[in-house]
Amino acid sequence: MGDSRARPACFEWNCRLIKKIVTGLLLMLALLLVAAGLVAAWHWRPALAPIQPPPADAFSTQLVEQGRILAGIGNCASCHTAKGGADYAGGRAMDTPFGTIYASNLTPDTQTGIGRWSLAVFQRAMREGVRRDGDHLYPVFPYTHFTLVNEADLTALYAYFMTRPPVYAAPQANTLPFPLNLRALQAGWKLLYFKPAAFQTNPAQGLDWNRGRYLAEGLAHCASCHTPRNALGAEIAGSAYLGRPMAHWYAPALTGANTAPLPWTADELYAFLRTGATSLHGVAAGPMAQVVQGLKAAPDSDVRALAVYFADVAGAARRKVDVEAVVKEGIEHSQKVSLVDNDRGASLYVAACASCHSNSDGRPVALRPELSLNSAVSAPDPANLLQVILRGSHQAGLMPGFAQALSDADIAQLAAYLRRSRSHQPAWPELEAAVARIRASSN
Amino acid sequence: MFQITVNGQAHTVDTDPQTPLLWVLRDIVKLTGTKFGCGIGLCGACTVHVDGRAVRSCITPIVSVEASAITTIEGLSPDGKHPLQQAWIATQAPQCGYCQSGQIMQAATLLRDYPQPTDANIDAVMSGNLCRCMAYVRIRKAIKLAAASMQEAPPHA
Amino acid sequence: MPDTMHDSSPAAPASPGRRGFLIAAAGSGFTLAFLRADHSLAESKLAPAVAKQEAEPAFDPGIWFEIDRDGIVTVNIAKAEVGQHIGTALARIVAEELEADWDKVRLHYVASDAKWGQMVTAGSRSVWQDFEPLSRAGAAGRIALVEEGARLLRVPVAACTAKKGVVHGHGRSVSYGEIVRRGKLARHYTPVQLQAILLKTPQQRSLIGQGVQALDIPSKTDGSAIYGIDAQVEGMVYARPKIPPTRHGAKVVSIDDTAARKIKGYIGAAALNDPSNTVPGWVMVYADTYAAASRAAQLVQVKWRAGAAAHVSEQDILAYAARQLHDASLGARLVDDDGLEQAFKGAALTLERHYTTSTVLHFELEPVNALVQQIDGIWHVHAGNQAPSLILPVLAQALKVPESQVILHAYLLGGNMGRRLNGDYCVPAALAAQALGRPVKMICTRADDSQVDSPRSPSLQHLRLAFDGAGKVTAMQHEASAGWPAQVMFPAWLAKDKQGHPYDPSAIAGADHWYTVGAQRVRTISNDLANSSFRPGWLRATGPGWTSWAVESFMDEAAQAAKADPLDFRLSLLQGTGRNAGGAERLAHVLRRAAEKAGWGAAMPADTGLGIAATSGQERDMPTWTACVARLRVDRKTCMVQVEKLTLVIDAGLIIDPDGALAQAEGGVLLGLSMALHEGTAFFNGAVKDGNLNSYLPLRMADVPELDIEFVSSSYPPTGLGEPPVTVVAPAIGNAIFAAVAARVRHLPIRPEAVLKALDRHGAV
Repeated sequence: MGDSRARPACFEWNCRLIKKIVTGLLLMLALLLVAAGLVAAWHWRPALAPIQPPPADAFSTQLVEQGRILAGIGNCASCHTAKGGADYAGGRAMDTPFGTIYASNLTPDTQTGIGRWSLAVFQRAMREGVRRDGDHLYPVFPYTHFTLVNEADLTALYAYFMTRPPVYAAPQANTLPFPLNLRALQAGWKLLYFKPAAFQTNPAQGLDWNRGRYLAEGLAHCASCHTPRNALGAEIAGSAYLGRPMAHWYAPALTGANTAPLPWTADELYAFLRTGATSLHGVAAGPMAQVVQGLKAAPDSDVRALAVYFADVAGAARRKVDVEAVVKEGIEHSQKVSLVDNDRGASLYVAACASCHSNSDGRPVALRPELSLNSAVSAPDPANLLQVILRGSHQAGLMPGFAQALSDADIAQLAAYLRRSRSHQPAWPELEAAVARIRASSN
Repeated sequence: MFQITVNGQAHTVDTDPQTPLLWVLRDIVKLTGTKFGCGIGLCGACTVHVDGRAVRSCITPIVSVEASAITTIEGLSPDGKHPLQQAWIATQAPQCGYCQSGQIMQAATLLRDYPQPTDANIDAVMSGNLCRCMAYVRIRKAIKLAAASMQEAPPHA
Repeated sequence: MPDTMHDSSPAAPASPGRRGFLIAAAGSGFTLAFLRADHSLAESKLAPAVAKQEAEPAFDPGIWFEIDRDGIVTVNIAKAEVGQHIGTALARIVAEELEADWDKVRLHYVASDAKWGQMVTAGSRSVWQDFEPLSRAGAAGRIALVEEGARLLRVPVAACTAKKGVVHGHGRSVSYGEIVRRGKLARHYTPVQLQAILLKTPQQRSLIGQGVQALDIPSKTDGSAIYGIDAQVEGMVYARPKIPPTRHGAKVVSIDDTAARKIKGYIGAAALNDPSNTVPGWVMVYADTYAAASRAAQLVQVKWRAGAAAHVSEQDILAYAARQLHDASLGARLVDDDGLEQAFKGAALTLERHYTTSTVLHFELEPVNALVQQIDGIWHVHAGNQAPSLILPVLAQALKVPESQVILHAYLLGGNMGRRLNGDYCVPAALAAQALGRPVKMICTRADDSQVDSPRSPSLQHLRLAFDGAGKVTAMQHEASAGWPAQVMFPAWLAKDKQGHPYDPSAIAGADHWYTVGAQRVRTISNDLANSSFRPGWLRATGPGWTSWAVESFMDEAAQAAKADPLDFRLSLLQGTGRNAGGAERLAHVLRRAAEKAGWGAAMPADTGLGIAATSGQERDMPTWTACVARLRVDRKTCMVQVEKLTLVIDAGLIIDPDGALAQAEGGVLLGLSMALHEGTAFFNGAVKDGNLNSYLPLRMADVPELDIEFVSSSYPPTGLGEPPVTVVAPAIGNAIFAAVAARVRHLPIRPEAVLKALDRHGAV
């Protein structure tokens, strides 16, 4: 000892400060890790034992059929089937803000699918978002909704999936960057945004409403598309069904905020969900067309239940609208057809669209979709209208797509014309760029 | 390979799924009554019926009509005597005639939706069909004549 | 046989008097033919030919019609069906005098052959040219049949008449078919005898002037009509061209078809080598279906060295025209009276204006196409075309074969408007077939077609008028610069002014109007920049389609300067003196009648006006007197023009087919309306800006106004109908806009922006 070097007092003091800060930080980090560890531990799930795939006759035909209907309602195929791929064999890419996630293989293949999943594993996956090996599933799989599905339905779904033809298909690796690819971190997400729950009937509402709500909030997971999400990809509480853009389409608001000129009554919703088209609102296209396709298996009562529920969500009964007057005014206004040189959009409409889309006498003819009533024309986002102009539709008669025929500028002008002449909504901005984006997209 | 039904007859067609129906009809099925005018669905010369509704075949890919019944001008009537065809002759509507297959097919859908079409109906539904000879006056006359005769004696399906 | 379209001397079509007429039995039928003027009957080759027992008549030149043993009368039509039902019209003329049973008349559209003389269908001349000769041919045939029928009936000829295909006499009758079967028909007429035949009076006519259904219409309602685009032969290859950036002077630098190779059915791509220089720089893309050829063509990348026109746009062409007009030494003067300069020097008031028109596309609904196949050294061209005589020499040059080895087969034309006078689209198909050694069917897409159209050239016109102190018009000068179609495509049709300067009548006709204006000068200049940038074309009505825009707008402006009513002012100038005799009166008549029908002079609602215009239709030597009153309303806010009604009065002489005439007039009027308000494009860097219907906007059904069309009842020789109605609409509309809101527009097409600009200058002239 006997260090003869003199140290400045401030240096000593700084060292001590730095030591304090560093110690503090290390402490915080330790606490965070402990917290994370606690959270992870709390959400930790064990791996469950694999089973031998059950034989086909392990399930009754009735149960399997019930499962088929439910899988249709849940629209499982649309996410779990790749374009041109085998049914339920996964591989479909889902672009999220965090990277691309590939849907898993739901066929009972023992190596790449769920062939070794017991019913308990399946139920846990649906209810808690955990897969057989205990890893968390990403919330792009809407377990936050499937948690509401009751045991009987889960059993039926299980029976259905386990009796599909097994397909060997390992999905591609997800492209999530570190650390998002750490499934353990999903625990944090679940802490913030997920609570397993069972469906609660509302005794103040009727049977249809409750059934509709059970299906909508649960298996049909409508809010997954129709509710806005926050930066972490979770549905924003308090914003249920306010609509959001998704994958170059637009899922409209299902509440009173919906901008369609006519209300979504239960009858309208029923017709729309059952047939994919109504003369007072338009056609289902893109992802919604897939929903309608999936619902084809469902009994009328279920479709009606959904209609009753969403009519309530939309507050349709409370909207005072003179339907006949709105229809008449819309059609009359649409009838003013003429070649309008300094309105390129109008000229394009006359040449390309009027032959199929015009109506008269205050009544829209079925198979003549009336654009002044169309929900895509009045939506805040032009995506759905642009998609149908580009790609066509086969929902209510055949409409060819105009992608090859018209340029981005042409379609932008046509859409702008329809917006200002067939709706009372403000103009859409930057239409030409929107057309270009949608044209370039693969869906 | 596509199985398509044209004028009630089945055809097997080996072509790219995106091939426009127009060219399948003209070059493969060899029915040349449906015409090529603009190729972008804005002139109507290519109009045929898909499941009874007027559709522009130049922008309709063959894959989208695989399960549908396609009718061309040649199949509108077994003997060329559909009321529209007779009205077209009675009014001497066609000049060069190139657009008229499409005009007649579009008019057939018009009359299905509006059996007694007003001028406004005709304007709206038929303005998509360009007639370069500008024979519009007689096309309108012929439509009304056909509508009147169909009111008296509806044509057999 | 009809002579060239622009015979500079005769005021009437060449009479058949110079020709003999032979009727002979040949093989299975009975044939009537004209002889060429330079053959005398004695030295004709007909005598030995007659002896041949062949189904196909063996003599030369043309054979107009045949009657077979069933009495079927087949009229050979060497004209193109473009929508005017010319075959029916010509057959009617024959059938009328021949007394044929109309139900037994058939049309045969002939393939090209030298025996038909010049094969051109244009200028609304067909009926005008052929009415006389065909009537006499029909009459001559009837007389021969009556004579032979009388002999078979053993009744004196004087007691026999022919009616509807049957010869009657003394209660007995024999049909034409039977006469052909049993009779010995052999008769010839000298030119004098032919001319002496008494043709029917109007009262005696049963077909002409009556409604007859056009024979080409039924097939156009059931899909069986065959147009050029429908032609097919075994083993043909489909092709779509890659069009170079300029119509002239382009050269292929490189071709890259890597991307096209993945198209199923793709065969290959190659540049064409064209000795005729019709399609410089064209590359053909081949496939075994058209859909594949079209898609492959989109993927084939071609690098060109463009022609000079790559830097030429519409303003350049008009600026060039302006410079040309300033050079008094340029051009030709088809009218050049003395005293013009003095009259302007001494004028109390001079009016001077410029008028312009945009490039206009034909936009014929059937895009140009051709199928070419070589069989035993003969090149068979299958395409709709209205002037085989113009393109056969070019094809011969391109293929390096004698013209006699090229045959153009006749097809219906889809929506022509004059596009197919220029058969240039046949050349690439022929070259391709030659290069490949296989039949090639080339179809242009709509965008291709617009690129290689022969559009109506943009034009600049400069007009001046001199008034003396008493308000009399003492001089008028009209100068025009535009592309000259004949200069570029058929120099044989150029005429010459008195100094020997050549000019294209189709690029100035109409400027030589029928008003008495004192000393008159009409000068026409070929816009070389236009000619070297594209192929200016003949578009229905040709020159009068745009010269009338200037003349009749200017007449209104002159009336305004003279503080006179536009109708009265015109009538005051239609004095019918000097060279205007015989025409001015008929023009005045249609003007008065149109004004009367339209309620000229009545009070109009706000922003609504009547405008009047009158033209002589086409060339001075074949005038059709046409007057139009347009009634329209201008929306001051949007400056859009809403045409409410068009009233037309037409004096076209004898009307062979009143209903057909009305149809032609309806179509022509609406085309005129379309070009007045809706149609026009522009050159931009050597190519037209608007290639398809997304931006080129011809009139649609919804924009058809009320039409009131009347024909003057007349026994003057029939003149053309297809084109004259086109010429009067634009100026009538321009004049009506002025009447409505005092805004003067001087450019076609009339756009709302122009009306707005003119409105802002309200009052300023």
